[in-house]
Amino acid sequence: MTTEISVAAPAAAPPSVFAGPPKGIKAILLHAILFVASLAMLYPLIWMFVSSLRPEEEIFSNPSIIPNHIDFSSYWRGWTGLRFSFGTFFWNSLVISVLSVIGNMMSCSLAAYAFTRLKFAGRDFWFALMLGTLMMPQHVVLIPQYVLFLNLGWVDTIAPLVVPKFLAVDAFFIFLMVQFFRGIPKELDEAAAMDGCGPWRIYWRIMLPLSMPVLATTAIFTFIWTWDEFFAPLVYLNDMGSYTVQLGLRAFVDSTGKSDWGALFAMSVVTLVPVLVLFVLFQRLLIEGIATTGMKR
Amino acid sequence: MTHAMDRRRLMTGTAAVLGLGWLSLPALAQEKRLRMFWWGSKERADRTFKGNKLYSAKNPGVKIDGETIGWSDYWPRMATQAAGRNLADVIQMDYRYIFEYARRGALLDLNPYVGKALDLSGFDKNSIDCGKVDGKLYGINLGNNSTAMLANISAFEGAGLKVPTGDLTWDEYGKLCAELTKAAKKDGFYGSMDSGGLEPSFEVFVRQRGKNLYSEDGKAGFSAEDASDWFAYWDGLRQSKACVPADVQALDKQNIETNPLTLGKAAVAFAHSNQLVGYQAVNPNKLSIGMYPSGGAGAKPGQYLKPSMFFSVAGTSKNPEDAVKVINFVINDPEGVKAYGVERGVPPSSKSRDLIAADLDALGKAQVDYIASVTSKVGPLPPPPPKGAGEIAFLLRRTNEEVGFGRIKPAEAGKKFLTEASSILSRG
Amino acid sequence: MASIAQPSSGLGQTVRKSLPAYGFLSPWLIGLFCLTAGPVLASLYLSFTNFDLIQTPRWVGTANYERIFTNDPKFIAAMKVTFTYVLLSVPFKLAFALMLAMALNRGIQGLSIYRAIFYLPSLLGASVAIAVLWRQVFAGDGLLNAVLKWAFGYQGPSWISNPDYALYTLVSLSIWQFGSPMIIFLAGLRQIPQDMYEAASLDGAGPMRQMFKITLPLLTPVIFFNGVIQTIEAFKAFTPAFIVSEGTGGPVDSTMFYTLYLYLEGFAYLRMGYASALAWVLVVIIAFFTAFSFLSAKYWVHYDD
Repeated sequence: MTTEISVAAPAAAPPSVFAGPPKGIKAILLHAILFVASLAMLYPLIWMFVSSLRPEEEIFSNPSIIPNHIDFSSYWRGWTGLRFSFGTFFWNSLVISVLSVIGNMMSCSLAAYAFTRLKFAGRDFWFALMLGTLMMPQHVVLIPQYVLFLNLGWVDTIAPLVVPKFLAVDAFFIFLMVQFFRGIPKELDEAAAMDGCGPWRIYWRIMLPLSMPVLATTAIFTFIWTWDEFFAPLVYLNDMGSYTVQLGLRAFVDSTGKSDWGALFAMSVVTLVPVLVLFVLFQRLLIEGIATTGMKR
Repeated sequence: MTHAMDRRRLMTGTAAVLGLGWLSLPALAQEKRLRMFWWGSKERADRTFKGNKLYSAKNPGVKIDGETIGWSDYWPRMATQAAGRNLADVIQMDYRYIFEYARRGALLDLNPYVGKALDLSGFDKNSIDCGKVDGKLYGINLGNNSTAMLANISAFEGAGLKVPTGDLTWDEYGKLCAELTKAAKKDGFYGSMDSGGLEPSFEVFVRQRGKNLYSEDGKAGFSAEDASDWFAYWDGLRQSKACVPADVQALDKQNIETNPLTLGKAAVAFAHSNQLVGYQAVNPNKLSIGMYPSGGAGAKPGQYLKPSMFFSVAGTSKNPEDAVKVINFVINDPEGVKAYGVERGVPPSSKSRDLIAADLDALGKAQVDYIASVTSKVGPLPPPPPKGAGEIAFLLRRTNEEVGFGRIKPAEAGKKFLTEASSILSRG
Repeated sequence: MASIAQPSSGLGQTVRKSLPAYGFLSPWLIGLFCLTAGPVLASLYLSFTNFDLIQTPRWVGTANYERIFTNDPKFIAAMKVTFTYVLLSVPFKLAFALMLAMALNRGIQGLSIYRAIFYLPSLLGASVAIAVLWRQVFAGDGLLNAVLKWAFGYQGPSWISNPDYALYTLVSLSIWQFGSPMIIFLAGLRQIPQDMYEAASLDGAGPMRQMFKITLPLLTPVIFFNGVIQTIEAFKAFTPAFIVSEGTGGPVDSTMFYTLYLYLEGFAYLRMGYASALAWVLVVIIAFFTAFSFLSAKYWVHYDD
């Protein structure tokens, strides 16, 4: 433990890049712009919420955003309407998303570290290959992948959705971390290496603590994208008891027959809540990351 | 060594994941398990799960795992499972796709079971034959269905007009709708939807001329002139404002929730009889159900009774006999028949129809009455659609849009449609 | 590793030096070889067959590729749609994301609320609600036309269902969902050391100068990342068209994105062999663009190393 490099350096620098927050008329102007932009962003949520309170027959024929009845029954109907309660779907989605976050943070940071800081034969080749895996449209690899997972006995389990995350199949995050790791000054790990630190310790003690913003970004994105994903769960999860929230939402709607639209919109709103809460919580991590990286140079 | 520790942690993590995965596998048991897969939403799921439970109660030792999802997600999952030779034992099938799957050998021929595990004695010939592909029986009809015109009653009555029925010719229908548009005086509200891009509507039109959409040998059965006349008819309706303009019709994704009737832009939708319930649920006004316009004096009947959907058995099923028994249960056993009701269409077997007659609500009754009333007015089953028919349905829609947006004249559109359709058919 | 007898040859040296790196890469390598490589190679093989998902694939040589390049007007149409989408959506989305990231990086009140609100559209992802919503905004009687009429007295067309404009509504959908690159830009801005600005301030550099001399140059690795990723994603764009046009690509094929066309060929018309060939053509095109970006990066991306 000789190489305890202090990374928790200058405490709480003001979280601003320019010379402090804008004041007076400028601040009002900025707020006004941001406020108007916010309305455009919030419109869907408001609209979804209003639709969830509407009687079924009005949802499509009434374009107004002001509800004339307020009826929360679609929430109860949506939560309990399918054979399993929506709580089951939430739990399934949560398990898959949390495991995916853990998997991606571990496996992608390991690979990204190797690509940025270690010298090895074939580095450019592997890197190009890694980027290449980003380019393949998922629909054509889906079938062979399904056959593969079927032979492994993984279909109808969450393994096809989670195991790949532990094996860094999401090259997006490797590439993202590579770009950020390259911004961390090399002097730090060179100094550590001089002190006899091996690559593992440099990774664990220097790279990871200095990479909070990108790790937080990875966590947020992985969680949200896994939460929103429906194509892979659609193919790999057959039993309704193992459905994710997105599959649950889709089970309300059958465009050829009678659908429960009120319940769909009600549960769409409910489904947004956890990701929104998570986002608000995690973005703090993303911001506080600055305290540790502010020491650069 | 931390390095090794990490690897161990990684491995236990992965193992934990795998373990969790295995946990969600159904527990092994001595009982036979069948899988059943269908599309539809909540009500159908409730009824189907109920039917499965009743079956298991009567047949101890057989358990049916139900799998369900909405229509649009159904087919990619189905295709993937077919590619993996992992189809459910009992599969709900659609009239379009059954030919695609049967001809490629994904489904089981049910002929050997007829008269044994499968009792079709209540079915008339038409109801059995519609599940046959190249002489083999691949699907059991779950409900009779036919094309139907759904109209907003109060819109017509409020304007002092007669609600349209199948007694009208196409021209009379166009005039009526033009009058409605005028009388309604509502901005952006028209008499009819534009049905020029809907394959079932075009098929009815072609059949009224004594032809078929596809011939027995899988070629186009209509002429360029037929297609031109069809596109010109709808172009005329657009001009006279009898139907919605092209940019309103383009909002329709050929499903219930985007149909101009549902969006409050038109008073008539061209649909299928089993969709009445779905349309009524999202429409504030009461809807009537009637036949499509007729071809006039001397014309042939255009509509026909088609299956709303089938149950098929996968060719890879390990328990085909049990799968067939499940199907038999829902088409013949009073408990099974009652559990399903008319939710999948009007039961083809008259015995089953009598069984459920007492429990029907108003919409269900309207559906049953409609099928009863059209049965004497429909034509025979058309030849089975060839490979590529699905793509041609898309093509029809696109060509009608091209006419609607004024990119091509109806006369040319008919020729172009026939040429492109023929080239799709020859590719297969 | 130290206990391994020292190899004398240069090759042994290289191998030994590379070992730790391969240790770090091992999860990824296992994933690559066990999960990714097989399906990718299988799809390459299938692109030379007439695979229809159900029957055993039959080898057809280069027939699929020949058809793509000589006899497929839909391929050309889909290419046009996709290129238009890439060229319009990527720059605007990135510019938007960067501008808002910079605005939100300032210490104003209610920062975290704004950030969450701006990320909200991206949270909706492929939600079924998006289709209905987009129609409410861009249809003839939609929100946009109501605003246009109120502000300018102009009666607009039905943007979303007119073949001349439909694609642009999808471009705007993409721009509206700018949350992910915005977050990445924010994270990048956070990595720029504060003291550089302080030093520049002392030298009398104004905000504009600071932006061009410090912020933008130091942000280039992140700009590069977002550019490459967004371009790849835009080429592969599927969800917007699939959700908004419900898989039809209409009106008149004006939103027939390349991957939507590929999906229809594979899953709706059961021509998976042909769809695989289409996919590989797309991979080559994307690879070309990506390689070009990496070559150009030498001239404008500033790394610390």
